[in-house]
Amino acid sequence: MRIKNRTENPQKSVRVSKANKKKMQSESLCTAVKNGGKQVRASMCLMGLGQLLYKQIGKGILYLCVLVLAAFYFVKRGFADIAGLFTLGTKEADTWLGIEGDNSVVMLLMGILSVIAALCFILCYISNIKDVYETQKRVERGGKPATFREDLQQFLDKKFYKTVLFLPILGVCVFNILPIIFMIAIAFTNYGGTIVPPKLVDWVGFNNFVKLATLSQFSPTFLKILNWNIIWAVISTALNYFAGLGLALLLNKECVKGKALWRAFPVLAYAVPGFITLLGFKFMFSYGGPINQIITGMGNKAVGFLDIDAKWIARIIGLLVNAWISVPSIMLLATGLLSNRDVSQMESAKIDGANAFQQFRHITLPFVLFSTTPVLISQFIGNFNNFGIFFFLRGGLYIDGYFLASDTDLLINWLYNLSINNNYYNIGATISLVIFVITSLISLSIYTGSASYREEDTFR
Amino acid sequence: MKSRKTLRFMDSVVTHMILIAVCFIFLFPCLWLILASFSKSGSIYSFDGFFPSEYSFDTFRMLFTDTEMYNYPRWFRNTLFIATMSCLIGTFLVILTAYTMSRFKFRGRKAIMKTTLVLGMFPSFMGMIAVYIIMTQFGLINKMWGLILIYSSGAPMGYLTQKGFFDTIPGSIDEAARIDGATNFQVFLKINLPISMPIIVYTALTSFVFPWSDFILPKLLLKEKDLYTVAVGLMSLGETEFARFAAGSVFIAVPIVILYFCLMRFLVDGMTAGAVKG
Repeated sequence: MRIKNRTENPQKSVRVSKANKKKMQSESLCTAVKNGGKQVRASMCLMGLGQLLYKQIGKGILYLCVLVLAAFYFVKRGFADIAGLFTLGTKEADTWLGIEGDNSVVMLLMGILSVIAALCFILCYISNIKDVYETQKRVERGGKPATFREDLQQFLDKKFYKTVLFLPILGVCVFNILPIIFMIAIAFTNYGGTIVPPKLVDWVGFNNFVKLATLSQFSPTFLKILNWNIIWAVISTALNYFAGLGLALLLNKECVKGKALWRAFPVLAYAVPGFITLLGFKFMFSYGGPINQIITGMGNKAVGFLDIDAKWIARIIGLLVNAWISVPSIMLLATGLLSNRDVSQMESAKIDGANAFQQFRHITLPFVLFSTTPVLISQFIGNFNNFGIFFFLRGGLYIDGYFLASDTDLLINWLYNLSINNNYYNIGATISLVIFVITSLISLSIYTGSASYREEDTFR
Repeated sequence: MKSRKTLRFMDSVVTHMILIAVCFIFLFPCLWLILASFSKSGSIYSFDGFFPSEYSFDTFRMLFTDTEMYNYPRWFRNTLFIATMSCLIGTFLVILTAYTMSRFKFRGRKAIMKTTLVLGMFPSFMGMIAVYIIMTQFGLINKMWGLILIYSSGAPMGYLTQKGFFDTIPGSIDEAARIDGATNFQVFLKINLPISMPIIVYTALTSFVFPWSDFILPKLLLKEKDLYTVAVGLMSLGETEFARFAAGSVFIAVPIVILYFCLMRFLVDGMTAGAVKG
């Protein structure tokens, strides 16, 4: 905390509440509009004109270019795209009459994109006005307008963060935020099932959520899977966490010699790519696999560990395989933390006559729990959305009583089955939103209820 | 006193027994796969319990020469290309993002941090269909660059670990450099970059391994057989090709395992930094 504050200047480090900040921001725009001279007004009418009047040729032309580009884009397709966002297409394709209809899905995506583009343009426009106003103030104070070169140099120095964050933010917007907004939008349409382009898609409001909760096609499966998903997340997180922690404590014992060697085995498991492990375990438990060969060799019938009727066996195998994969990483983490631990506390506890268990219960555990709360949360969410385990172990299995799912499938597997394999895009998107709400609620409540949030400095 | 000594001894014995059991559990499946990759016949049905009945190097030879049905060398080259490029671009972006988020206080910083936190809570492939449509619009389906673009532009989302690391580097050095007239860019390049080697190695490793072993995106975006990555290719192998699967797995797992062991120190440091600071 202390370190972070240093790049701030003193005025800024005074905490300004959010509302105030917003007010200040809009105020600065208002004052710019109110007190601006003719250059500011010129820029308000035509982006970049004010800058040109101040003889900031490079910057002025840049702003003008943005304006021209934006105008070109919006006239060419932007306005139509925004309109398309509301209608989602009006002309249905007809191959008989040779009509090339509207593709609702592409229209939706392009509509979202055009809204984002519009927002960006507005930001540009505001920055243009503010920029001229800054120059005006500078001139009023008797300075000279900044040259283009000086402006550019700012981007390596004071505005370095803008330069740096531009690419990452652009990438995240296009490949993370845009798809998420798109899917949220899909959850409120009837896109899916038989209604896919070239048929027209429509907005349906909260219909999909109602369907998921009430329709006999979806709701029993949904409730069953949700139930199992929560059980799975809790058990697997607890199992992995305490097994990893226990292993780390065991390796930390004084009587264990050659710690690096012992540690090498779990690290081996950690380093093998996950899909190899999972496919390997699938082979191990398959009908022709080694375990069944041994069972049949002893004269018994082969067991379908991951078969259709292997509900709890498959679930337990899933839990164990997941532990095999995740325990090493938690062990490594806990090892790292334990080496940072304050040993003097332990010494004094020992002198006071605390036994090993008491030391663990009252000193080690609180410390480790405190430090790893964020990890615990991410582990929980990771397990809640653990796609790989049952996708590899029992992928593609559909069981009676479940709609396009099996009894080991988690919500995320169901989501995959529905939307990628069976075109139920709208229901898939709705489930994603439900998952999002659940995971964010849980992690928020753990996080705000945890020690590391309430007492940030306890162990520093 | 004596009883205490025996107690200690018993404790040590039990500890070691548990440790041996744990090591066995972790070692056994790996050993099984390695031995299976040296089996003479390919099918899992010809095995004698866990282990092959006869050993030979044939499977490995076949893996690289018999490419008619399963073109492993090709898969391998594809995976290597995708993983290397995503690693380079992704690491660069993550380090810069984390550094900026740690060192600069600017308007919107808190908002960005909160947004990434919220975005991280959406199921990872919720947007897959949208990504697929976007990629078709850009004409990047069946192009390896499309995959690289997605991997590397998604990478900055995981900047928190790296930010935690940069938070621990004292700022007084920066200030001294600033007073000497260095720009922020120079401060980053000449001062902070050299001392952040551990976190760079950690980032590079994790952003290499993710594309290396991812199977969802390649499966969705690379439909042609020539463009398969190792993960997708190995998934298409059935029980009769078990030895081939084992050999292929061993061949791509070994470099990763060696890398992990060599970079162990960085790995633990990186993980701990991320965990404590959150």
